[in-house]
Amino acid sequence: MGIEWAWLPPALSAGAFAGILLLGGRLPLKGAPLAVAAIAAGFALFWFFAADVVNEGAASFERLWFEAGDIGISLGMTIDELAIVMIGLVTAVSLAVQVYSLAYMRGDPKLGWFFAVLALFAASMLALVVVDNLLVFYVLWELIGLCSYLLIGFYSERRSAAEAAKKAFIVTRVGDVALLIGVLVLFQAAGTFSMREIFALAEAGEIGASSLNLSAALIFIGVAGKSAQFPFHVWLPDAMEGPTPVSALIHAATLVIAGVYFLARLSPMLVHTPGVLDAVAAVGLFTAFIGAFLALAQNDLKRVLAYSTVSQLGFMVLAMGSFGFAAGIFHLLTHGFFKALLFLGSGSVMHAMDDELDMRKMGGLRRAMPVTFVVFAVGTFALAGLFPLSGFFSKDEILLGVLDGRNGWLLAAGLAASGLTALYAARMLFMVFAGEPRSDAARRAHEASPLILVPMAALAIPAAGLGLLALSWGDFGGILSFLHLPGGAHHYEINHAVFWPSLIVAFGLFIVGYRIYAPRGAEPAPSIVERRYPRLYAWVANKFYLDELYQWAVDNVVLAASRFIAVFDRRVVNDTGVDGPGKATVLAGRALRYHETGLIGTYILTIAVTAAAAIIIMVAVS
Amino acid sequence: MAIRTAALLAATAMLGFSVYAFIAYDHGAGGYQFQQQWEWIETLGITVHWGADGISALMVLLTGIVAFTGVIVSWRIDDRPKEYFVLFMTLLTGVYGTFVSLDIFFLFFFYELAVLPMYLLIAVWGSTNKEYGALKLVLYLVAGSVLVWVAIIAIYVEAGVGSFDLLALQEADFARDFQRIFFPLIMIGFGVLAGLWPFHTWSPDGHVAAPTAVSMLHAGVLMKLGAYGIIRLGMTLLPEGLDWWQIPFITLATINVVYGAMSAMAQRDLKFVIGYSSVGHMGLVLIGLATIDSVGVSGAVLQMFSHGLMTALFFAMVGVIYEQAHTRDIGELNGLAKRMPITVFLFVLAGLASLGLPGLSGFVAEVLVFIGAFRTFPVVGVLGVIAAMLTAVYILRLAARSFFGPADDRWAGLKDASLGDRFAGGVLAAMLVLAGVFPKPFLDVINSAANPLVERITQVL
Repeated sequence: MGIEWAWLPPALSAGAFAGILLLGGRLPLKGAPLAVAAIAAGFALFWFFAADVVNEGAASFERLWFEAGDIGISLGMTIDELAIVMIGLVTAVSLAVQVYSLAYMRGDPKLGWFFAVLALFAASMLALVVVDNLLVFYVLWELIGLCSYLLIGFYSERRSAAEAAKKAFIVTRVGDVALLIGVLVLFQAAGTFSMREIFALAEAGEIGASSLNLSAALIFIGVAGKSAQFPFHVWLPDAMEGPTPVSALIHAATLVIAGVYFLARLSPMLVHTPGVLDAVAAVGLFTAFIGAFLALAQNDLKRVLAYSTVSQLGFMVLAMGSFGFAAGIFHLLTHGFFKALLFLGSGSVMHAMDDELDMRKMGGLRRAMPVTFVVFAVGTFALAGLFPLSGFFSKDEILLGVLDGRNGWLLAAGLAASGLTALYAARMLFMVFAGEPRSDAARRAHEASPLILVPMAALAIPAAGLGLLALSWGDFGGILSFLHLPGGAHHYEINHAVFWPSLIVAFGLFIVGYRIYAPRGAEPAPSIVERRYPRLYAWVANKFYLDELYQWAVDNVVLAASRFIAVFDRRVVNDTGVDGPGKATVLAGRALRYHETGLIGTYILTIAVTAAAAIIIMVAVS
Repeated sequence: MAIRTAALLAATAMLGFSVYAFIAYDHGAGGYQFQQQWEWIETLGITVHWGADGISALMVLLTGIVAFTGVIVSWRIDDRPKEYFVLFMTLLTGVYGTFVSLDIFFLFFFYELAVLPMYLLIAVWGSTNKEYGALKLVLYLVAGSVLVWVAIIAIYVEAGVGSFDLLALQEADFARDFQRIFFPLIMIGFGVLAGLWPFHTWSPDGHVAAPTAVSMLHAGVLMKLGAYGIIRLGMTLLPEGLDWWQIPFITLATINVVYGAMSAMAQRDLKFVIGYSSVGHMGLVLIGLATIDSVGVSGAVLQMFSHGLMTALFFAMVGVIYEQAHTRDIGELNGLAKRMPITVFLFVLAGLASLGLPGLSGFVAEVLVFIGAFRTFPVVGVLGVIAAMLTAVYILRLAARSFFGPADDRWAGLKDASLGDRFAGGVLAAMLVLAGVFPKPFLDVINSAANPLVERITQVL
């Protein structure tokens, strides 16, 4: 099966979406197995495509979508190493999440709708990673936004879910405005939407530097919106309002990674805009830091994970900004697996705890839920970057990339952020599973059903072992050289200046985390920062009050302006401009009515006066 | 019942012929097809001359769809159904006549015929503040047509070919100054109907007052007559006038887009929201036309089609909500998704088309207009994209407030859309998706008319 069938996985999932919507009611489980079958087929096909790319290299082809005026928009596809890696991640994680959802969402009245949107989500994402046309890319980018809107707001009768969905869509949409403008600027400069052609033009220096920089900067704003980079990160924690499997999907295999993927996809262009990459690196590093800080201050298990995603995305963006595009994608891959695993694990915990997510009320769950504990621990170790789990290798590659592309200071900052990661990872793991149960719900907790555990166990394998991809195996020179991205395409080697500090920082702070946060007996877990620096803690726990700032801006700027215009429209344009002439006509009619007296004398007088005036004027003029 | 059946049969036949006309139109050949001509007043050179180019063909299709769905949602009209449907069909006669007349005398005649029944339809079968809305609408549109009529007579005289026939007039030479003087009459005269700022206020008021199906026709089709008139008379006959007035025209249109979106955001009545959103979306049509760029103009025409379907769907669903809840106040409505899932689904689909979500027709149309704007006036393009974002804000705020979240007990008895309403909404929604996913057949037909038009204009300039 050749690469020319690469449209098949997204088409299958899109078909499942349509099938469930149209016939779902009549199928067993409301058609949910249709979606699972489609993504399973996609995952099976992935291996054939991967073999094809490995043996025969990248391929691309295109077909016309429509013509308008003097331009044509084509549905082009490029299946290269980057696309293959993404297809593998998306199909594998989606498959695990969908199987898990079969059990997790069982009995939900909107089960069919849930799986339909999951299928559409997978279809859009699978298409997104292969398209070559920027406009079509934008189409899929928005569809992904729509799917997340629908899934975050899945429990639509909950006010908070409706608000969170709206917030996610609007915040990312603000970024998308910039993205669309950036794409149009690029089209204006290059005369094409095809990424391959744009890269060739950029390489040849045929696109003006100012257009290139402007569009790269605008596109990055769009990426920051989608990938929850500071200051757009506010929507991601609220996105927890969706069902837990959705969080796993959004955080690991779809929505948020789309932005990071896009940076890598555009890397042949971005290397020509070093100024923009400086900003990318700065935003990424800053986001990595604040995400980790915020994760440390949360007590809600899913929120810890959410901020952890913000922080990890920051790492990936930092790598991209340091010309380590391949390293960023590698981390995206490993993060996809261990974060999906952690979210599915948190869902298992949540089910066992009667929907309780406050870690202060957990504790001691390792006994009641041994399987969940083991796989969750694997995910946590990978997140913390403990050797030899996958997270260690990918984070190591990022730090190496930072050292190569930037300098030692940035490397040190990156190391510090990864230390914080180990700290909050330890805090999360030990607060949930260590010590004694701290509530009735925790005492009653029980292990989940096999349908929930199997996908988690399956994800634990890559979460633990995917680091091996970094190494060379015979012909395979390690994933970094396999990806063929600009910058940092090197074979794996141990750089002692990075390897040992990274190893020591991760282990060291993980142990520190254990010393601080592992609860003794049944006491509630302490929070040192909360006790010693209450104001700092409040500032962090309230996300630096960015939400309040945005709310204020929306209420007092956008809505105030819209109310002003609405009043202006009524009072000035309508009442004065439109009704005014009408009223004037009526008044004039009333005034003139008194002129029509019916008395012959008055008429004669009027005629005489008018005639006299006319004569005088004519004489005066001549 | 017999009346409704007759109306439905007529509407079905109209839909059938409209679809036929669209499919049978040969976009490879282009030009005016299906032509028929009879003498009417020989001394004045007035003939009855039918024919359709790509733009007319698409507008005919749109009219067929909106008329068909409009009759279905009018099924429950109990108050004087005979008069209602007679006026409704008269309105449609006017609309079809305008789109297919190649004689500008008859184009104007049918244009007037389409406007006048609106008065009675709104004043008799309408709601909220209906006399005011109806009166304002008709007076305003008639004022606009006075300008158009003056321009038509002037064109007839200036051309000196003794004919009102569009094909003959196209060959005539109009002096540059003549074009510059008379283009604004066309731009404003027809612009009134297209909702051109600041002559737009009749439109939201009219929508609010009109009964459901009339709102659908009004926003869905009637406003397109204005844009169509600008294309047929302004752009085709007076290209140098368009060029001279391009910047004022595109400025007003841009104000339309931003102003419409901002005003819509502050509204509480669902119909006012959609009314102002129509003002904004028609602004995109006018921007596209004003770019005089082949991509922009084809985007504008596609936007006419897309907006027609979208607002028709909007108003059909608002009608369902109003009939059940007896209010259209966003502040009062809440949690409707639980009670009326299908109505809400269709409304949100229209909303997503309106905020330019890819996969639905609105996106393709908007993005083409933006491309056209970026190639000519980039600032306009930027403002347009931002306005599309504002659309997302008010549509989603509305949805979150009125449709999602917990429902009050007072909405416990609400019933979802009837089978007919579902069918009508489903047809419109399917067209939105079809034109969004496979825009090619629609754009091929549009291109066959828009490309030669833009070419002609650029050659003259």
